[in-house]
Amino acid sequence: MKVAIAALCLAFGLRADDCPPSKLTPQETLARFQELDRAAQASFDAGRYVAAAQQYRDAACVAPNSARALYGLGIAEAAAGNFAEARKALETAYSILPKNAMPLAMLVRVNVAMKDVEQVKAALRTAAQRFPDDAELHSGLARFLAESQMLDLALAESLRLEETGTSDPASAIELAALENTVGAYEDAIRTAAPVEKQASLAAEVRASAAGVAALSLEGAGRREEAIQRLQTAIRLSPSQENSYLALAFLYQKAQRFKEAAALLTEARKRFPSSLDLLLPLGNNLVWAEHHEAGIQVLNELLTKSPGVTEAYIRLAEAYRNMGRSELEVQALRRLARVQPDYPMLHTLIARAMTTMETPDHSAVMAELALAEKSAPNDSEIFYLRGKVYASMGRLPEAVTSLKRAIELSPMDRSAYYQLGLIYGKLEQPELARQTLARMRLLQESSKP
Amino acid sequence: MTRRALLVAAGAGPLLRRALAFAEPRSISFPLAGIAGSITPADAFFIREHFAEPDLVLKSWRLRVEGRVARTVDWSLADLIEAPTRKIEAVLECAGNGPGGAAVSNAVWGGVPLLHLLREAGAAPEAVSVLLEAADTGRLTSDAPDLPYCQIVPIVKCMQAESLVAFKMNDRFLPRKNGFPARALFPGWYAMDSVKWLKRIIVLGPNDEPADFLASGMHKFYNRIVEVPAGGRTTIRLSEVLVKSAIAWPPDQSKLPAARHTIRGFAWTGAGSIRDVEISADGGRTWERAQFESPSKPFAWTRWKYSWDAAPGSWALISRATDDGGRQQPLTRDPARQDGYEWNHCATVRCEVR
Repeated sequence: MKVAIAALCLAFGLRADDCPPSKLTPQETLARFQELDRAAQASFDAGRYVAAAQQYRDAACVAPNSARALYGLGIAEAAAGNFAEARKALETAYSILPKNAMPLAMLVRVNVAMKDVEQVKAALRTAAQRFPDDAELHSGLARFLAESQMLDLALAESLRLEETGTSDPASAIELAALENTVGAYEDAIRTAAPVEKQASLAAEVRASAAGVAALSLEGAGRREEAIQRLQTAIRLSPSQENSYLALAFLYQKAQRFKEAAALLTEARKRFPSSLDLLLPLGNNLVWAEHHEAGIQVLNELLTKSPGVTEAYIRLAEAYRNMGRSELEVQALRRLARVQPDYPMLHTLIARAMTTMETPDHSAVMAELALAEKSAPNDSEIFYLRGKVYASMGRLPEAVTSLKRAIELSPMDRSAYYQLGLIYGKLEQPELARQTLARMRLLQESSKP
Repeated sequence: MTRRALLVAAGAGPLLRRALAFAEPRSISFPLAGIAGSITPADAFFIREHFAEPDLVLKSWRLRVEGRVARTVDWSLADLIEAPTRKIEAVLECAGNGPGGAAVSNAVWGGVPLLHLLREAGAAPEAVSVLLEAADTGRLTSDAPDLPYCQIVPIVKCMQAESLVAFKMNDRFLPRKNGFPARALFPGWYAMDSVKWLKRIIVLGPNDEPADFLASGMHKFYNRIVEVPAGGRTTIRLSEVLVKSAIAWPPDQSKLPAARHTIRGFAWTGAGSIRDVEISADGGRTWERAQFESPSKPFAWTRWKYSWDAAPGSWALISRATDDGGRQQPLTRDPARQDGYEWNHCATVRCEVR
């Protein structure tokens, strides 16, 4: 890189526009250039980017063909947020010194800042053509593009780095992670495997490789192998919290909730202040039917971080499983305070209220009215309303609501069942028979 | 899953979709009823394979453009990613997809225009066609040698702006089963030409013999064979997709409660766009116009719906599409056809309403 900077300083050959004619001698020119260059550097280091840009511009006027001045100008303009000017200066710097990759690397960054993807690609193509073996360039670009969430282009640069034949273990893990992200699971497994197996590498590096391989194995549908890899990752580097989270997630997907809960309980001992562990731990405890323990963890999470909406839903689920409808309603009402527009929330509350020992019908109806405001065509609302009317003995209203539920969702058999029962109570046997026959028709149709 | 079951399971983790590795060629379609919008999700995209999925290594994969060109060019995936790209929504239909069949899917594709690759290689002015060769190999017939899957497409189609070397599907990289790292994409044409796992593009001149294409026996497949009244048969290579529609819901032989139901489906054409979709509930005696749920545009399919007041009885539902060129789905299959492709005649969905 030092050679590259020296080359930038020495290159001359381009005439800059908008510069007053100079009457300086060559010695005076060099002295003036050095003075401006030092001042510009000092301004830049002090964060005075506009001043630095002006000084580099003046330097470029004194020495119109200086790639160093133009490169400095490009960087200063970029730092000042004048990306179009930065791009112009860097393109000129690159045209003066086409054998130097620095202006091109900077040009990629400026084009990314300008969100000009086509120009980013154009600069990357030039970089690939002119500097196919420059591992440092492609590695730097890959990392920068990944940080900028331009993952396709990051993958392209990682592949170019591989082609240079000088990829290091960290780069290999990055490539594997990108391959995994784009769905090239077999490639990612292949890329990560040698890093994981290399005993001379640091355990953390090998554990990262095992972690990436595990994600890809899961993506490729090879879950048991994925689980084994994550177990290896934890064994190699027990201080990486992400490995526990990932393994617990795989247990969870495999519905091995007890194992997930046990693993996360173990992880909590190691990372007692971690917030990230609490939600999955609470979830898995509930799904493993350790309701009390799950409720305790979820409440601890909500005390520390009340905005985690999924925790309220899980709390409600735990209480529902325990038959504690009042507490289920309470949990959902807490969610309503945090996020009033949570999807289907009022329907969930109304539904929970209907399962209480002595439901407050008017309160259920109020919840359903709120639910209807946000989702007027949700058949569930009319179904629940029909059921509530029926329990209040207001059978004609129940019929109207259930008919509406059927209109909105004619293939949902529950409403037919309720309606059939109500027709029976209304002593309309033919309608009851017809409606229950439709319910049975749907029941038969749904059988595989 | 019903809404009620969803409520009960609210917040539960996402359902797992397991990808399986296959060593044998696959033929998989998914019910069109499962498609929520107008784009087919990657994991519900139909699969038709002649040979087993090849095991390609991303780092070493190259797409070679050769033949009647000024220079042979090898493209890596990095080259494709960094080349100028375009996106296009397009339907792909298997040429053998039956009437109302599900071997049809619609996705947003991203890739490099084939025109760009041909220009970079300097395709010769006398070029007439392009042979697209895939990485999957096998025997098409028992007496054929073991050769790569390949197709020939006229250069005129390759030069159209919509023809791509695609590496993206619905803004994600192609899944392996759909041709990763890259496949050809010819919107408006039957899917056999959109060669998956693309490995070589060979530009052919007027007198170049596509040896592997002939030796593999591929020339015997994908032809429209029509018996002519004077005797004999005409044979034409399949290309443009014929206008067609399919009822996604209700399924055939379904039993429905008497109620107002929404019939849903899709319509597509290879040339132009869909102008109309009509629905008949009485086996084709009377027709009503369906409503479009997604805009009609070239190459993509259009999602449509029809609100049907289903009274008790037996019903024969039929959808019929017409494109903006006035081409309409026929009610029956042309009896002169002697091949097993282009089944675009109207399908009947029978329903029992009680």
